[in-house]
Amino acid sequence: MARTPRQVGEEVWKTRIEKVNAELVTLTYGSVVAQLCKDFGNDYIQVNEQLDKMGYNIGIRLIEDFLARTNTSRCRTFKDTAEIISKVGFKIFLNITPTVGNWTQDNKQFSLIFDENPLADFVELPDDGKAVNELWYSNVLCGVLRGALEMVQTQVEAQFVSDVLRGHETTEMRVTLIRILEDEMPVGDD
Amino acid sequence: MTIYSFWIFDRHCECIYHKDYKRPYRQLRSKPDLGSDSIDEKKQQSGGPPTGKGPLSVDDDAKLVFGVVFSLRNIVTKLAGEKESFFVFRTSKYKLHFYETQTNLRFVMITDLKVDGIRPILEQIHAGLYVEYIIKNPLSPVEHTNGVGVNNELFSLGLDRFLRPLSIFE
Repeated sequence: MARTPRQVGEEVWKTRIEKVNAELVTLTYGSVVAQLCKDFGNDYIQVNEQLDKMGYNIGIRLIEDFLARTNTSRCRTFKDTAEIISKVGFKIFLNITPTVGNWTQDNKQFSLIFDENPLADFVELPDDGKAVNELWYSNVLCGVLRGALEMVQTQVEAQFVSDVLRGHETTEMRVTLIRILEDEMPVGDD
Repeated sequence: MTIYSFWIFDRHCECIYHKDYKRPYRQLRSKPDLGSDSIDEKKQQSGGPPTGKGPLSVDDDAKLVFGVVFSLRNIVTKLAGEKESFFVFRTSKYKLHFYETQTNLRFVMITDLKVDGIRPILEQIHAGLYVEYIIKNPLSPVEHTNGVGVNNELFSLGLDRFLRPLSIFE
């Protein structure tokens, strides 16, 4: 493929994506998180887990839509995967391109650094002294990545390591490659 | 030009959708004369599922079809590298067209010999029908295990509406 991921992302975003109001997304996501906090009695560890699960369920469907829209060919290296996630994936679904960086030596772990995060606009974490240390507000994104990549035979772990909402300087997600999954074989037929 | 049958297999190697249009290839196998074509026509118009009158059931057919495309695809990648895939093979009686998404969904269409280059059609079935009606339908399960398959009327109707006006469908 001659075109760079950035060009693909731009083009698909411009021509093949129906846009919705960003505030609608922000507010909808906000009420989901708020409701989860209420349901779990401000047990933020549980809330993180739920968000991740929800994200996973989104991811395993979203990847089909992603492939149908972008016609991306298979990534040869995990580096390619990271580029596509940032420049095409995040671009077409959220219109952001998080910076890829902080690779480990073995090229199996990288960071996505979010300069902007539409999910977290207008957000202030609850002032209970707990949320700032426990809640990963945008944790749904980790689940989405995990789900989507699993469907293309790439098992990863993803978690936030810092968030501006918590007072950190950046919002950063670590993505770790666990393994490349083998194709499933048909069950033996006796 | 004509379509004989259409199959979708998921990443667990299960047949999740199958539709027979005309099946001379089955008749060729069970009895040599092709005279009963009109009966097939009627069956297809009534939309009822084909009765397994051949020596093999639809389930067995699905296993055979999958076995063939799976092995062929594996041979192709073994010989020519990971990025290689096969699109079609032909026999003296029919052609089998194959399209696999990166999520290991496999679309198979068996047609007569005159049909050519229908990969875009298979891609469209994935992008325009499968994704729209099944993936984006929140109430439709993601996995179609235990032989339930894609049980989705909108998808079936959409597929019919998409295929029938095409020149390959006659």
